[in-house]
Amino acid sequence: MVGAPIAPHPAAIAPKETFVLNLGPQHPATHGVLRIKMTMDGEYVDRAEPVCGYIHRMHEKMGENRTYAQFLPNTGRIDYLSAMHYTHAFVSVVERAAGIQVPPRAEFIRVITSELNRISSHLVWWGAFLLDLGGFTPLLYAFEDRERILDLLEGITGARLTYCYYRFGGLCNDVDDTFLEGTRQFIAKMRPRLKMYRALVTDNIILRKRLIGIGPISAELCRRYGATGPVLRGSGVTYDVRKAEPYSVYPELEFDVPTFPEGDSMARYLVRMEELAQSLRIIEQALGKLPSGPVMAEKVPRVLKLPAGDFCFAVEAARGRFMVRVVSDNKEVPYRVKLRTPCLSNLSLFEEASRGLFLADALALLGSLDLVIPDIDR
Amino acid sequence: MNETVPNPAPPLQAVDYRLKGYHLEAMVAPDQVVPAARAMDEQGFSLDTITGVDWLAQEQMEVVYDYFHPARGLRTVVRARIPRDQPEIPTISGVFPGANWHERETHDFFGIRFLEHPDLSPFLLPEDADFHPLRKDYTA
Amino acid sequence: METQPDLAQLVKDCSPILRFGLLDDWLGLARANSLWPLTFGLACCAIEMMAAGASRFDLARFGAEVFRPSPRQADVMIVAGTINKKMAPAVKTLYDQMLEPKWVIAMGNCAISGGPFVFPGQYAVVEGVDKLFPVDVFIPGCPPRPEALIEGILQLEEKLTGKRRWPKVKPE
Repeated sequence: MVGAPIAPHPAAIAPKETFVLNLGPQHPATHGVLRIKMTMDGEYVDRAEPVCGYIHRMHEKMGENRTYAQFLPNTGRIDYLSAMHYTHAFVSVVERAAGIQVPPRAEFIRVITSELNRISSHLVWWGAFLLDLGGFTPLLYAFEDRERILDLLEGITGARLTYCYYRFGGLCNDVDDTFLEGTRQFIAKMRPRLKMYRALVTDNIILRKRLIGIGPISAELCRRYGATGPVLRGSGVTYDVRKAEPYSVYPELEFDVPTFPEGDSMARYLVRMEELAQSLRIIEQALGKLPSGPVMAEKVPRVLKLPAGDFCFAVEAARGRFMVRVVSDNKEVPYRVKLRTPCLSNLSLFEEASRGLFLADALALLGSLDLVIPDIDR
Repeated sequence: MNETVPNPAPPLQAVDYRLKGYHLEAMVAPDQVVPAARAMDEQGFSLDTITGVDWLAQEQMEVVYDYFHPARGLRTVVRARIPRDQPEIPTISGVFPGANWHERETHDFFGIRFLEHPDLSPFLLPEDADFHPLRKDYTA
Repeated sequence: METQPDLAQLVKDCSPILRFGLLDDWLGLARANSLWPLTFGLACCAIEMMAAGASRFDLARFGAEVFRPSPRQADVMIVAGTINKKMAPAVKTLYDQMLEPKWVIAMGNCAISGGPFVFPGQYAVVEGVDKLFPVDVFIPGCPPRPEALIEGILQLEEKLTGKRRWPKVKPE
């Protein structure tokens, strides 16, 4: 089978002598400050133990020290590549608890901006993943496309990376025709680029040999560790929060949830490439259905106090299921903010999934999990 | 599925999903969290997260287990309350290996000891940390 | 009346000092034109650093696109992101491992002063990279635009060579 670890020749088997190889916290392939203590048996990984906490920025503690509105900028920095989704979850949990109705135009614009953010996040993942595997060029193509998205979003939000565009009850300002026309042109430009990516990279024999059959993760492993997002969908389970716990205006939009049953790194790769196409489809439909009207709910209290109790909201972020749980005691400052981030659950299965792999294959597996380390450490 | 689940078996109670964000809720005794986790596992649930809440005024800590079902989209919350001066609860990492890291993080933040946990060393805090920052009586 | 100083003799006497000065200029120019950064992206600013090295903003124009993962091969450490108390010893080790001459650019508000993560009673963030070692250029922003990072590198080049060699963009 292509890509399966080759068993050593019987004559070459020596008594097992392991050594510890430290990967990180400063390493180009860890996508942030992750340290992995790898106990190596030659070239094979015997045990890979991730050590986290090198970018722990106390988001949950800050949640108890900030009012709901003051916490909004934090949400963009938990996973900065898909900041819109995280802000969406936080504003939605407050809207759910306080009973604020968001106008439909704001909901559609939230979906459009979130899906644009998903595309830009997947492009960064794609470029960085191929950089890990040794291909330096796709990063430049990916970043060029990403800059087009960032131009669009900068026009309406003012920020390139850590957006804070949504407010409780809607958006901070409306979009203009430049944005809408620019988005349509972007979709028209992006579709041929996806074909080019397929021909240049996805069908590339070197990539296929590096990814097919590498790092298999079964659906049962995902379930026991709580993995979600493309990791779960690449193992054959069609679970997408947008379909399982529908929110915003996703029920009115038609899109598929790409799922591949093989469970190897290639399946996770293909899931994300397909999601790019599906996101373009969602944006196109949302642009067509965008109603006119206000973008902010009426009568949102200036000082928000949620009723006592706990409330949750989950969204499908670019990396998986992101859930916010707010425990409130009827004060302006939350009692407890819990952020359930996808990368923590996705990384927790790395130890079990990487046993017996070659080092290079373990890094391919790590890249295919699509990690953003501040998401794990919060 | 956004609607409320009808007639769940006790100790599960149905909850208004549209307000709270989860469908089923159960409050269990601390020594029942492992059988509860096993029941969730048999039904095909996946572990979402484990966290703690420090109820300083009531001198209790609450451990909250969130589960989600990958096929049916159901959300269940299991809660347990433990005394604040002796915060101990059995670990569920034997049932859900993913609980390992969530419990380590909860221990980091609150000092809750998960009995028979394979390795309760600091996860997000430095290796030599001996403080629990999310306790309500914590001062830097 | 004084005789005119013998110019040839003057040059011979001063030649060691003159040549040393010129060499310094040339070395400064060479170093400024080929600053090799250490890949030290910690958090969000790392993405803007990658964008500065990527197709649109192109650090390669200034000779600085060769990001070296090893500190032994890097000249400048661009600290892009928040420094944690757990990470601080690793950052200091990397700084110590870099060879002289070395420079540090603190990119982003977190590297300058802890950024948005400072609040009374905070327990995990080091409030600024200059608490650990000296910094040459501070680039504010959260995150700073790639153009701001390029401006920071040009300021560092000005520090190395003594004069600014690229035009300054006037804000409109």
